[in-house]
Amino acid sequence: MIRGLGIVTVVAFLLVSFTPLPNVLNQWAGVTAQLQPAAAIVVLGGGMDGDGVLSTSSLRRAIHGIMLFQRGFAPLLAFSGPVSRPLGREEAEVRAEMARLLGVSPAAILTEATARTTRAEAVCMAALLQPRGVSTILLVTSYAHMARSRQLFENVGFTVQPAPVDDISHVHTPEARWESMRPLVQEFLARVYYRIAGYL
Amino acid sequence: MESVFILVVVGLTSAGAYILGITRLGFSKSGLWLALGKACECVGLTLVFCVLNLAVAMFAIFVMRSLSGRFVSLYIASDTTFFMLSWLQALAFQAWREGSRRHHTSESYDSELLHRQP
Repeated sequence: MIRGLGIVTVVAFLLVSFTPLPNVLNQWAGVTAQLQPAAAIVVLGGGMDGDGVLSTSSLRRAIHGIMLFQRGFAPLLAFSGPVSRPLGREEAEVRAEMARLLGVSPAAILTEATARTTRAEAVCMAALLQPRGVSTILLVTSYAHMARSRQLFENVGFTVQPAPVDDISHVHTPEARWESMRPLVQEFLARVYYRIAGYL
Repeated sequence: MESVFILVVVGLTSAGAYILGITRLGFSKSGLWLALGKACECVGLTLVFCVLNLAVAMFAIFVMRSLSGRFVSLYIASDTTFFMLSWLQALAFQAWREGSRRHHTSESYDSELLHRQP
């Protein structure tokens, strides 16, 4: 039994490392971009270190959101991202500051720093944007995270146009294949949890 | 290209270890299949410990959330360290199991010898 499990694991390891299987799985699970003008661009949180440095994912999402704004896709740019301990800086505010430095008008920037889960981000963004008449959004998050996020934002009444970053479905080295599998597995487990909890 | 390179390097060192084992260290050829089977058992045990650690970690996070009222991210449970520690757990468990089996075998052999004595 244990030996059989080991053989299956070794075969799976070899398939992930040395075949395009991770690319196929990521293409199947991911959502492609639908870039059309919207009422707001919503950039989801991606994590920040305790010393106030944005994670790679957070930085990529923020830059993608700023680029979409600069290209005129929406008149509002909303950043999400909670307070990070111990310095007490908000991820959303750090990204807003970056957007201002890159030329985005302060009047066009909105921040939301209370939500700590994707579901909470959807609820809080609805409370922030829907009173302003926003119903159609360009949603910026990671490629693997988009399917669940899109569904959650649609559940709270938004029409969502996906604008994913980090397309990880075209990797070619064994290490990159493993790195691309991690968010895929995380998202799979998150979807299972959200389904059990009744959020999806 | 990288995939082929990695496979060639690992293939060469494996072949070297095989030749060394047969010619210098006196290992048996049939013992290799037994060793591969044991290695697969260890991999299987690593997976079992991984799943177990993940389940316990998620349960603990939910308990911490409900008891403290503070948000604890589920992403902690996906730390790579869990995988490395699961592998160590599996190695130790496997060695323990093998050691216990050998101990049982030698004990039963000793008692058999005792009973045979006139």
